[in-house]
Amino acid sequence: MSAGLAACDSGEAEDGPSSAPVIPEGDLADASGTLTPSNPTTLSVWITTAQQAPAADNKITELLKEQLGVTLEYEIVTPDNVDQKIGVMLAGGDYPDLIGTTDLKMRLLEGGALLRLDDMLATGDYPNLATHVEDDIKKMSYTGGEVDDGLYIFPNYNRFYGEPTGGTYFGPAFWIQKRVLEDAGYPDLSDMTLDRYFELIADYAAANPETNGIPTVGFEVLASTGREWGMTNPPALLAGSPNNGGVIVDEDGNAEIYADKDIARDYYEVLNEQYAAGLVDPESFTLTFDQYVAKLATGAVLGMHDQGWDFQTATQSLQSAGMDEYTYVPLMPVYDGVEPWYADRPVMNTNQGFGVSVSSDQPEAALKFLDLMLSEPWQKVLSWGIAGEDYEVGDDGMFTRTEEQRANYRDLTWRASNRLDALLDVLPKHNGQFSDGNAYSPDDQPTEFFATLTEYDRGFMEQYGKQTWLEFMNPQPENPVYYPAWNITLSDDANQVNQQITDASVQNLPKIIAGDPGEFDANWEAFVDAISRIDVQVYEDAINAGIQDRIANW
Amino acid sequence: MSSTSVAKPLAPSAAQGRPARRRRRWTTERVVFTSLNTTFLVALAVIMVYPLLNTLAISLNDGMDAVRGGIGIWPRVFSLRNYEIVLNMDTIYQAFIMSTLKTVVVVATNLFFTSMLAFALSRKEFIFRRPITLIFVLTLYFDAGLIPNYLLIKDLGMLNSFQAYWVPVMISAFNLIILRTYMKSIPEEITESARMDGAGDFRTWWQIIMPLCKPVLAVIGLFVAVGSWNAWLDTLLYNSGDPALTTLQYELQKLLASSMNAGANSANSAANQAAVGAGGQLTTPIALRSAITMVAAVPILLVYPFLQKHFVSGLMIGSVKG
Amino acid sequence: MTQAPVSTVVTASDVEPALVPAISSRAPGGKARKKKTKDPKPKITWDRIKAQRVLLLMAVPLLMYQILFKYVPVYGWSIAFQDYKPGRGSIWNQEWVGFENFVDLFTGVNGERFRRVVVNTVGQSVLSLLVGTVGAIVLALLLNEVKNLPFKRVLQNITYMPHFLSWVIVASLASVALSMPSSGGFINQVLMNVGLVDEPVLFLTEPNYFWGIVAGTNLWKELGWNTILYLAAITAIDPSQYEAAEVDGAGRYRKMWNITLPGIRPTIVVLLIINSGWILSTNFELPYFLGNGLIAEKAETIDVFVLRYGYQLGNYSLAVVAGIFKTIVAIILVGSANAAAKRLNQETLV
Repeated sequence: MSAGLAACDSGEAEDGPSSAPVIPEGDLADASGTLTPSNPTTLSVWITTAQQAPAADNKITELLKEQLGVTLEYEIVTPDNVDQKIGVMLAGGDYPDLIGTTDLKMRLLEGGALLRLDDMLATGDYPNLATHVEDDIKKMSYTGGEVDDGLYIFPNYNRFYGEPTGGTYFGPAFWIQKRVLEDAGYPDLSDMTLDRYFELIADYAAANPETNGIPTVGFEVLASTGREWGMTNPPALLAGSPNNGGVIVDEDGNAEIYADKDIARDYYEVLNEQYAAGLVDPESFTLTFDQYVAKLATGAVLGMHDQGWDFQTATQSLQSAGMDEYTYVPLMPVYDGVEPWYADRPVMNTNQGFGVSVSSDQPEAALKFLDLMLSEPWQKVLSWGIAGEDYEVGDDGMFTRTEEQRANYRDLTWRASNRLDALLDVLPKHNGQFSDGNAYSPDDQPTEFFATLTEYDRGFMEQYGKQTWLEFMNPQPENPVYYPAWNITLSDDANQVNQQITDASVQNLPKIIAGDPGEFDANWEAFVDAISRIDVQVYEDAINAGIQDRIANW
Repeated sequence: MSSTSVAKPLAPSAAQGRPARRRRRWTTERVVFTSLNTTFLVALAVIMVYPLLNTLAISLNDGMDAVRGGIGIWPRVFSLRNYEIVLNMDTIYQAFIMSTLKTVVVVATNLFFTSMLAFALSRKEFIFRRPITLIFVLTLYFDAGLIPNYLLIKDLGMLNSFQAYWVPVMISAFNLIILRTYMKSIPEEITESARMDGAGDFRTWWQIIMPLCKPVLAVIGLFVAVGSWNAWLDTLLYNSGDPALTTLQYELQKLLASSMNAGANSANSAANQAAVGAGGQLTTPIALRSAITMVAAVPILLVYPFLQKHFVSGLMIGSVKG
Repeated sequence: MTQAPVSTVVTASDVEPALVPAISSRAPGGKARKKKTKDPKPKITWDRIKAQRVLLLMAVPLLMYQILFKYVPVYGWSIAFQDYKPGRGSIWNQEWVGFENFVDLFTGVNGERFRRVVVNTVGQSVLSLLVGTVGAIVLALLLNEVKNLPFKRVLQNITYMPHFLSWVIVASLASVALSMPSSGGFINQVLMNVGLVDEPVLFLTEPNYFWGIVAGTNLWKELGWNTILYLAAITAIDPSQYEAAEVDGAGRYRKMWNITLPGIRPTIVVLLIINSGWILSTNFELPYFLGNGLIAEKAETIDVFVLRYGYQLGNYSLAVVAGIFKTIVAIILVGSANAAAKRLNQETLV
C-alpha cells in the first residue's frame, strides 16, 4: 500500500540527467529543461483546501504530464480537519514535496516543515516567482523568530498585476432588497445614514406586511455560531473605519477595541429601537446559518448586515427562481461627518500558500513546478481552461464564454474532470490582469459580468447610472501599510482575550438589542461592565505591537 | 437460529395450554391496551421516520429551491442532480468497496478477539480476571490524544496501510463488558459438562459458548459495524496519503466541504477568497448534504434487518437451563 | 444512555464509543438476585497458572495489546504540564510548567466560566441519561407487547433510523421545529392549535429550556438505537417464568414489573455504571449548533469551551488538561457506582 510513497522518492531523478531532455514545443513547456516529459517527475503535494481533488481522467493532469512530465500525488485535507492533521504531521516529521497551507497560525512554518526559499530564488532560475515576490518581499517574509527570517510561503491570493477588475461586491455592507429601492423611487444612496436605511425598510414593511404569503422581515441580524461578526462589526464601518476586525486604528496606527465605545452604543441603540418597532426579526439570534440563508432565500427579508460572499447561495437561489427584485444591493450607512470605507483593497494573506518542504529531496523540481504554474500561459490554463474548449478568444484577443461553457464552470462534476481546483486554490496567482488585458479569471472579466447580468439588474443599475455593483461602493483608497489588523498573529494570551471579548459580545448584545428600550441603558452598562472585567489591554497591546512592527518592516 | 415469535415458546412447555389460550382471547383490557399501544408506537414511528424522510425529500429536490426551506417529506421541485454529483464522484465506488472491506474485517476481528477475551474474563476461576477487567474498563474513560496515537501507528509501520484500520480497534472495552456479563450468566453446568467431555478452554469457548452468544454477538456486531462504517478520522490521520485506502465517509466529508467552500472557518480570510468560491454549482450545500447523508447511511441501515432476527426472537438459553 | 463520549477529538481506536447497552440473560428473580457470596478471589499458584495456560494464552496477549495501544500513548498527557507549541516539534522539546495549566483552568481568567460549563455539562448529561434510559426501557417494554412480528420489526427499524443522521442535520431539524410557525416551527404550531399558548414561544432564547431541549433531541435521535440491547435482553428471559406467573393469575403489568424489568436489570445496571463515567462527556454538537448568546450561560459545555479556548486558539495543553480532569472524574464516578452496585448485590463492571 505504500508503493505510492516510494514512487515519489528519488528513483526517477537519478537516471534523468544522463539523457538530454526533450523539451516540447509551445509556451507551456519548461524551457530550462528541468521538468520535461523525457525526464518524468513525481511530486507529492499536500493541500489544505475545501476544493475537491481532480478526477482520474482530469484533462489538466494529462496536460501536465504531456508538457512537463509532472505527475502530482495529492493529499487533500479540508479546513475543518486541518488542525488535527497538522498536529500529527509535525509530530511525524515526514512531509511531501510541496505543502499548500492555509493555516493562519503558521504552525507548519514555525514547526520547521518548510524550506527557506530566499537563496534558491536568488539563483535566478525561478523568474516568475521572483517577479511575484519582489515588490512585497518584506510583507511576504516570515519574521516571527521561531525559525530563520525569510521567505517560506508564496501567498495564494491578491498579489495584483495590473488593476483589480470585476463587478460584484463581496465585502461587508448593509444590504437592502432592490424592490425596496424600486418602490421608493430609486432614492439617492449617497450620504446614507442608519436612520434613512431603516426608514426605507420601515416604509416598505408597513406597506407590505407580507411577502409571498409569509410575514415580511425588516432586518435580520446575522449572529449564528462562527458568524457573530455580522452583529459585532458594523459599528466600525459606521464610524468610517475599514474592516480591522475588533479594533479601530487611528491615523497614527494606534488600535483600540470599539465594542464598548459610543460608536457601538449608538448602533445597538438604533437596533434596539427598531427591534421594539418590530422591524428586527426576533428569531435573529436563534437562527442557524442554514435557517438564515433559507430566510433570505424566501425573499421575505428586506435588509441585513453581512459580507457579500456569505449569502451567495441565497442570492443564487433567488436568481434561479427569477426573483431578481428580491436580491440585494450594498449600502454604506455612516455616522455624521465621516466618509464610508466599507470596500477595501483586497489584501494578501501572507500565511497562506505553497511552500517546499524540508523533507523533499527534489526541492529544485518542486520550486520549478510552482514557478511554471505562475507563468501566464499556465495561469490561463488553470484559471480559464483550454482556449476553444472552455472559453473563446475574440478577434480583439479578449476571452469570452458561451452559455454552455459558463454552465460547465459551475458544475462540480465537470470541474473535477476539467480543472485543478484544489491545486489552484493554494497556488500563487496572477490576480488582476494578464499582460494581454484579460482578467485573471472569468469571474473578474468585465465582459463576462455584463453578459451574465439579468434584464432586471441591468435596468436597476441604469436607474442609478452605474455599470457594476462595485460602483455602489466607496472608491477604495490605498490600504494603510499595516492593513488589515485582523490578521496579525497574536500570542495565546491575546487570543484568549480576543475570544473573551467576542463571547461577551455574543452573550450581551442580543439582550441589549431585544431588550425593553427602557432598560437599554442598564443592559448596555452590564455589557460595558463585562468588557471591563476582561484584560483588554493585553489584546490591544498585542495588536499595537503588530501594527508598529508592520509599519517598521513592510 | 430460527425466528420464533415471543409467544411461541410458551406453547410447547405450557402443557395445560390454559395460560396460552387465555392470552390469545381478546379481553377488553387487551383491546384497549393494544390499540393504545399501537397508536402510541405508530405516532412515535412517525416522529422518528420524519428526519430521514425529510432528508430524502431534500436530497431529491432541486438545490436552489431547497435553500428556501419548508420542505417536508415530499420534494417540491424534483431533481436527481444531487445524486448525480455524489455518484459521479471519481473515487466513490472504490471508497465504497474499501469501507465495506474495512467494516467486514473490523467486525470479524473485533468479535473474535473481544469474545475470546470475554470468555477468559467470564471464568470465575481465572486468576487474573479482576486486574485484567479493570485495565480494560479504565480505557473507556481516557484517551491519550491524537499525536501519541499517531506516533504509535507510525512506529509500528502501519501508516498508509490497511492494518491501520483494524489493528487499533481489535478490542472494544465496552463490548467486552457486555459479552462478559452475558457469558457469566450462562450456567456453569454447560462448561462443566464440556470439560467432562474432554474439551479444553479454547474448544469450550469456540464450540459451546460462542453459539450460545449468537444474539449478543449480533448486537455487538451491529454496533461495531456501524462504528467502523461511520469512522473517517482514521482515514484522515493514518491513511489519507494513499488514495487506494480512502473510505466512503471520508470522501463524502470532503465533497461536503467542497460544496460549502465559501463558508470557510474564518470569515475574514474567506472574504478574500470569495471571488474564487463564488462560482455556484447548480446545487446547494443543504441539498447536497442530504444526498450525501443518504448515500452514507443507507448501506449501513440495511444491515440491521438482517441481524434483527438473531435478537428479536427468543434465546435458547432458557431451554438449556431447563 | 444517550451518553456518548463525544469530544472534539475522537480517537479512531474507539470503534463504537457510543452507548451500547449490555445484554444479560440472567434469570430474573432467580439465582442472580439470591447470590450473596462474592465471586471467589482465586489464589495465584503455579499449579493454577499451568492449569489455566489456555485461558492465559487467550487473555494475556490481548492485555499486552491493550496496554500498548491504550496505556503507552498516555505519555502524551505530558502536554498538560507543558506550554505546548506544535512549532517546537516533539513533545519532549517543550517548556515544562508543572501544574500551571490546571491551576489556570480552575482559577484563571476563565475559572468561573469553566466551573459553570462543568455544571451545564453535568446538567445536560444527567437529564439526557435519565430521559434516555427511561425512554429506552419503556419503548422496549411496549415493543415487547407487540405480538405482530412484522409490525414489530418495522417499528424497530424505523425508530432506530435517526441514529444514522449526523448531529448537524438533527440539530438543524430541531432548530426549525422549535422556531416560529412562519419558519416551519411545528411545535409552536401544535401548542397554539391546542391552545396551550397564545403567542409562539422562542424556545431557543430561554436559558431554562435548554437542558430539556438537549435531552429531548437526544431522545429523538437515540431512542430506538438505545432500545436494541434492552430488547435483546428481554427476549433472553426464560419464557417459563411468564407461564408460571400466568398460572398465578398475573396480569400484563405485573408481568412487566415482576419478570421483565428484573430480567433486564443487570443490563440496566451495567449500562448505568458505564454511563456514569461519561457524565462529563456530553454530546458536543447540540450545544454548539443550538446554543446562542442568549442562552450561553446554560448551553456551553466543557467540550464547547475546550473548542473555543483550546483548539481554536491553538492552546492544546488546555484540551489535554480538560481531558485529564474528565478522566479523573469519570474514574471516581464509575468507581462509586460500581461500589454501590456491589453493595446492593447488583451486576458490577469489575
